[in-house]
Amino acid sequence: MISIFSQTSLTDFLFWVSRKKWLILSFVLSVVMFYMPSPEGLGSEAHRTLIIVFVALTLIISESIPLPAVAILILIMQVVLGVDDADGVAASFMSDAVFFIMGSLMLAVAIVNQGLDKRLALGLITLTGNKTWRIVVGLVSFSAILSSFIGEHTVSAMMLPVALTLLRNAGVDTDKSTKLSNILLFSIAYGCSIGSIGTPSGGGRNVIMIGYLSDFGIAKISYLDWIKFAYPMLILEIPIVSLVLWYTFTPSQKIMDTAVRKLKVQVARTGKMTANQILAIGIFFLIFIGWIFLSPFVGLGIVALSGVFFYLTFRLIDWEEINKNTNWGIVLLFGSAISLGIQMKETGAAFWVAESILNQLGKVFFDLDIVRWFISVVLTSLTTNILSSAATVAVLGPIVLDMGGNPIIAGMMTSIASSFSYLTIVASPTCMIIHSTGIIKSSDYLKAGWKLFITSIFLLFLISFLYWPVLL
Amino acid sequence: MKILIAVRSKEYSSPTLDVGMNISRYLKASTTIVDVGEKIREISSKDINLANEIMDSWDLDRPGIDVLEWAYNYLVENKFIDEQDEAVGFPKNLLVHHGERRAELLLKGSVLKNLRLILRNGDIVDELRDEVQTYKYDVTIIGGSGRKKMVLEIVRYIDSSIFLINNFTPKKIYKILLAVDDSPGTKKALRYGVRIAKAFGIDATLLTISKNRKFGEAQKKASKDAETMMRRSGISAKIILETGDPVKTIIKNAGQDHIIIMGESNRSPLKKLFLGSKPLNIMKLSKTPVLIVK
Repeated sequence: MISIFSQTSLTDFLFWVSRKKWLILSFVLSVVMFYMPSPEGLGSEAHRTLIIVFVALTLIISESIPLPAVAILILIMQVVLGVDDADGVAASFMSDAVFFIMGSLMLAVAIVNQGLDKRLALGLITLTGNKTWRIVVGLVSFSAILSSFIGEHTVSAMMLPVALTLLRNAGVDTDKSTKLSNILLFSIAYGCSIGSIGTPSGGGRNVIMIGYLSDFGIAKISYLDWIKFAYPMLILEIPIVSLVLWYTFTPSQKIMDTAVRKLKVQVARTGKMTANQILAIGIFFLIFIGWIFLSPFVGLGIVALSGVFFYLTFRLIDWEEINKNTNWGIVLLFGSAISLGIQMKETGAAFWVAESILNQLGKVFFDLDIVRWFISVVLTSLTTNILSSAATVAVLGPIVLDMGGNPIIAGMMTSIASSFSYLTIVASPTCMIIHSTGIIKSSDYLKAGWKLFITSIFLLFLISFLYWPVLL
Repeated sequence: MKILIAVRSKEYSSPTLDVGMNISRYLKASTTIVDVGEKIREISSKDINLANEIMDSWDLDRPGIDVLEWAYNYLVENKFIDEQDEAVGFPKNLLVHHGERRAELLLKGSVLKNLRLILRNGDIVDELRDEVQTYKYDVTIIGGSGRKKMVLEIVRYIDSSIFLINNFTPKKIYKILLAVDDSPGTKKALRYGVRIAKAFGIDATLLTISKNRKFGEAQKKASKDAETMMRRSGISAKIILETGDPVKTIIKNAGQDHIIIMGESNRSPLKKLFLGSKPLNIMKLSKTPVLIVK
């Protein structure tokens, strides 16, 4: 071997292996799993579907190949392993949920481009004044309420400069984390996370769950139904997040007088609202109305795409801008993940996994409801911190819906628990956005994160056992 | 000669910058300072682009710019950039992107044509390897880090000499510790040894090690030749011949007041991966700066 390759090409090869070890490992293990006899109760197609799930999860978590490549691999494997034919895979690849994810990513670009962030900042500091604790509560509430409608990644991108400008104006060195920088940035990240549960448009994963519930013939959940289920939890979380952050990162600066004044001056320079900005807000309001009243007939995705249509038609955004800033790879990935989720349901793989986990956990807990709760909430919220929230719902969704018990409650719990992404950088786009500033250390995520993680699980437990049954 | 200096933070990178710039000033080398920022998950990359675009409109610096600004100011304070060019100031708004993960700050001024400031994002080993492969550097200078695995990967996979600035105290007087044997690697290492000793105006110790008690003729000759070369270059050099385990002996002799310089191992990359090599082991154990010459 050494005589065939030069030292340099051998080093190149070893480097490739060191970077692609997870790809190689998942390939080897998937071949081994393919030739292993199917476990009892698991059909051959279901067995092959689970191999694809295993490969997809390994590659998404390790990022050893680009995510769009994982998406394409899922589609190829479904056809090559004979889980479905090409037309079947293509049909399950595109759905209203994928339309929604695509539409909301494009909407995010359109909204961010309107320059509304400065106006948002002005609104915020006018309401909060200059006391630091009020600014924290303001950031959490603004982030939570806005992201429940517009989506967490859009809102955190718009709120981040507000917090960074306040820090700069306060003379805080943004090279390393301080209590003040932590509390302001986490207010945004956690505010957006708790907000994303509020309505279906808060996060793609909510729409994925609604899609599963409807595709599997379980229930049709409307935009308003979702709000009734989830919004009370969001409202309760706002004071909890504010308090936990305040007591974890109590800053020495209790008043940010100069910082707020400087911010006001800076923002005031932008002048009055332009006609385009008013039109942009008007269109978003129409989309919101459409989600409430029209989505039961035309689907959430079509409403989101109609919004994009209007933004483009009124020249509020150029296509080039949307094309450049939309993560098309994510659209492909969720298309494939949902397609795989549907195959998990249809081949019985989801049912088998649900049964196996129920049997195993049934030995530990005696009450089956507690076991189901444990899977939907604890398993989801832990997975979300490794895998990221939307992918978690796409994969775990079909499993929790096949667990028996009330699937609507299980589905809602899973969707909401996937927002408990407080512990790691990778958990949600908002955590990644504040991390990208270089101010926050990875270890800071655990400081307040674990407290919120436990409190949120407890709160969801209370709401799902006491409040939701009243709604059904 | 092209030198790449990797900086990470204002807190820990000043020794790296100091050593790197002193060498590059002496050699009149073309120098690039690179900051490799946080790796961004692909799933969030576009969201972060959006956030960065908004930050630009708020006149907030993108992550990493502050580190390069600090490096620039450090160079001005320590007279690495002369006054005439200093007047232009730090050009923080002149960021030119080369692809998704690399951007360059455009510096102005005649003397600055030999200095580049680069921002990169991603895994540090991947990014430095790509930078070295694409722009062909002779030496990569990195700071000492608690992350030994990362340092070893850098030595293993990056195709330039690697200078690890480990526990460097700027005001301390160091000596060069050159590991000498009769291998071709030693000749290259010796050339670097001379340059660095002259750049800092310091003495050298030439250490030749035999695993058993006898020293071969070739080894003795290599040691003598090295001393002659040092002397001709005006560097005072001391010869040490010692028996024992090479890695342990080098580490012991180096203590904390030597800069270790040695050639790359002749082992094949596969053997290095499974069995390690002397330079890799020294990188792992050393409590002082190490230069592995490739």
